[in-house]
Amino acid sequence: MNAKQVVGVLGLLVVAVGVAMLTAVPVSLIFDESDVGPILISSSITIIVGITFAVAGRTDRSSIRLREGFAIVTFAWIVIPLFGSLPYLLSNSIPSFTDAYFESVSGFTTTGASIVNNIEALPHGILYWRSLTHWLGGMGIVVLYLAILPMIGFGAVHLFKAEVSGMSKDKLTPRVVDTARILWGVYALLTVSEMGFLMAGGMPWFDSLCHSFGTVATGGFSTKNSSIGFYQSPYIETVVTMFMLLAATNFSLHYAALRGRFRDYFHNEELRFFLGAYVVVVVAVTLSTVGESFGGDIVSAFRYSAFNVASIMSCTGYATSDFAIWAPAAQLFLFVVMFPGGCSGSTAGGLKMVRVYLLIKSVSSAVRRLLHRRAVVHMRLDGKIVDDDILVKVGAFVLFYLGFFVVASLVLLETGLDPVSALTSTATCLAGIGPGLGSVGPASNYSHLPIVAKWVLDVCMVVGRLELFTAIVLLSPAFWRS
Amino acid sequence: MRFRSVLSVLGFILVVVGILMSLVLPVSLYYGGSDAYALLLSALLMIVVGLLVWFFNKKQSKELGVREGFTIVGLGWVVASLFGCLPFVLSGAIPDFTDAYFETISGFTTTGATILTDIEVLPHGLLFWRSLTQWIGGLGIILLSIAILPALGVGGMQLFQAEVPGISVEKLTPRIIQTARILWMVYVLLTVVQMVLLTAGGMTLFDATCHSFTTVSTGGFSTKNASIAHYQSAYIEQVIIVFMFLAGTSFALHYRALRGELRGYSRDDEFTFYAILVVLASLIIFLGIPIESGESLGKTVQAAVFQTVSIITTTGFVTADYELWYPAAQWILLMLMFAGACTGSTAGGIKLVRILVLLKNAVNQLKMLIHPRAILPVRHNGKSLEQEIIVDVLTYFVLFVLIFVVSTLVMTTLGMDIVSSAGAVAASLGNIGPGLGSVGAVDNYAHVPLIGKWVLMFCMLTGRLEIFTIIVLFTPTFWKR
Repeated sequence: MNAKQVVGVLGLLVVAVGVAMLTAVPVSLIFDESDVGPILISSSITIIVGITFAVAGRTDRSSIRLREGFAIVTFAWIVIPLFGSLPYLLSNSIPSFTDAYFESVSGFTTTGASIVNNIEALPHGILYWRSLTHWLGGMGIVVLYLAILPMIGFGAVHLFKAEVSGMSKDKLTPRVVDTARILWGVYALLTVSEMGFLMAGGMPWFDSLCHSFGTVATGGFSTKNSSIGFYQSPYIETVVTMFMLLAATNFSLHYAALRGRFRDYFHNEELRFFLGAYVVVVVAVTLSTVGESFGGDIVSAFRYSAFNVASIMSCTGYATSDFAIWAPAAQLFLFVVMFPGGCSGSTAGGLKMVRVYLLIKSVSSAVRRLLHRRAVVHMRLDGKIVDDDILVKVGAFVLFYLGFFVVASLVLLETGLDPVSALTSTATCLAGIGPGLGSVGPASNYSHLPIVAKWVLDVCMVVGRLELFTAIVLLSPAFWRS
Repeated sequence: MRFRSVLSVLGFILVVVGILMSLVLPVSLYYGGSDAYALLLSALLMIVVGLLVWFFNKKQSKELGVREGFTIVGLGWVVASLFGCLPFVLSGAIPDFTDAYFETISGFTTTGATILTDIEVLPHGLLFWRSLTQWIGGLGIILLSIAILPALGVGGMQLFQAEVPGISVEKLTPRIIQTARILWMVYVLLTVVQMVLLTAGGMTLFDATCHSFTTVSTGGFSTKNASIAHYQSAYIEQVIIVFMFLAGTSFALHYRALRGELRGYSRDDEFTFYAILVVLASLIIFLGIPIESGESLGKTVQAAVFQTVSIITTTGFVTADYELWYPAAQWILLMLMFAGACTGSTAGGIKLVRILVLLKNAVNQLKMLIHPRAILPVRHNGKSLEQEIIVDVLTYFVLFVLIFVVSTLVMTTLGMDIVSSAGAVAASLGNIGPGLGSVGAVDNYAHVPLIGKWVLMFCMLTGRLEIFTIIVLFTPTFWKR
């Protein structure tokens, strides 16, 4: 392990975050609030520490190998939120370190679980920074997914061909920079166009900006206590729904579309499955809430289902209604869709649709194999044969994911949390969604959780965000050997 | 599909079950016989119908292919339960057909979920029949899981190496009969020994017989409303713990132990995993039991061990209302409902060997991530497994979870609360019996909505028959040509 190299790259990332933090200064100045000083100090500290790291670890950056890659990616998600929590602490917006770190991790991992009781009381600079952490985190994930993870070669990312400029399988080559640039372009374009649409719908520019950050990153931090529900506007809800779904779609499909290949959307099995599942769940939730929760008003039932289901399935976590008090059947549907998440190669979290899809498909080929013992049954994805090797990898991933869910839920239950809150907060943090059910529903937040529970959820968010293996691999002895 | 061959086997099964039912008659008569008429009529009907079906189709060839195998296994349980519920309906003990069928399916699948609110008012003949259904079901399962399913190639059953006189993988051959005979011996032996031990502990012969039937089959029907808690005897609980544990162990291992190969137990990966899991889960559950003043530590430990073993072996006896325990303990119990015990035993659930293989595979993948060029096979009992088997196991796991999720969604849609729905489905699919919430340790299934009962029956059957056996019957491919 080349520790120096890891420190060096981490330092550069920290500097980048510090510079991004500086952009909160003008925002704070515009609204002329008390948070200018703290933000300025925080970003100075961040940049200085970052530069120190970068200088201390200066080395040949062109040849980052596998182990270093894992270490950088994992530590980045642990260290960066540390600096990200400085503005909250120094401005006294969130005085407790555990809480500030939780908010920061939740931001960078694009989860959107909050411990802030009164969001609207926060100064604008801090609100902006809170949403910006989402946007930065989302950007990091897109790059991670499409440029770095495929080289490490694990599971879902392995499955789709990024089809952005070619990828080397062995080292992080300069070409990754090309890929990253293209994806950031798509990402920025989505953000800007959503902001335009939202402003056209009458949302103030500041709210539009923050909500666009939160949507495109599938984060879920809002500037309002009642989230998107604050605006009571079907137009805004439609726009946000559309962009949540777009953000949960594989970004390389967007890139293809920008180059004129719109048909790729329709040919992508994962996306078709994702949208199909979305429609089915919306119908089911509409039907199960219409009587009990909306007094027979099918239009409202549909409106609120369509938004909140999209929010959960895309792992965003905005809300327009308190779904924690909906009919039990609807709540169970929402709980179940907390697991699959969005498409691979998007900013969404969870198991990823392609894995769920492959597993479901494998059941049908298993049946065929059972009946035609001698037949060779091939499973295909997007026309290409999926061999057992990949299925076995997907299985390992799903088992780790569920295992992590079971153990983390157990720990949360041990802290005295009620079952519904414990299970849903684990599921929601692992998948990067945000609000759960029970006492962590959209109308409440995570501030009342015991300290231990908050740290466990911190781990869930980071581990879930890093597709488990990247993080778990660091904990295995074999990784550190030799 | 050779329907007539299928029919002839089904007829034969009916005759056997009918004869077993007629064995209940003496018990019924001994205790006054208010239910003798219903039992006699049902048994006669069963034998006559069975004989007729068998007689008119017996000339068919004895060669049974894969499709016929699936059909027989699937329909066997459905049809046997249909006739098996007759005594309950005819005697008026359970007047409603759905309820009677539910109780019988729950019996034959060795689930142990009951719709009876007061078990003790049932006449002795029916109580005996109720326990006997589980014993017959358990016997069937052993035969099925050791002799037939591996031959059909169901979801990783190939993992299970019976090593009892040879099993042909291609067709259901007469050799299976030999295997079956040996396993029945072990089964009967376990039952008799437990009966003796229970009687020695002061249980009446009737209760001892019924409870032995339902322990060895990991069924869980009791003759008492309070289940095993009725006896308030540490000795009886200990005996039952041991026999539940043995019933959750592969019967092939017992057979080998009887032949002197005692080390077979410790050499079996699945058994080792099973033993470790029982100890570990008991410990966590023990920590999740609120300590009441005046309660001795030993008693709490025993309660934890009893409930752990009862749930992991999918038996479903209770000695304490575990719903009063901390949520963490209940969470572990729910997880154990999915796990189940060993293959080749009478237990249900996913089966530990599958979970073990999936865990080993996950760890392997982790290692391969660090050493991308290494090729590390998954090993089970010293042999490396082909990827195809791992995929089979994986699909089994996925299907199990899918059925759980979909059925739970259906149950909540019918108006049940989430905890009860999840608990009821997990307990039915894993063939345990008592679940959580309103179908918990001290409750029953009487209040479940009508459609819900049918959903749960489907779960019991699918869970019992290793999922694929039933699911295959619902695929178009199966019926093609």
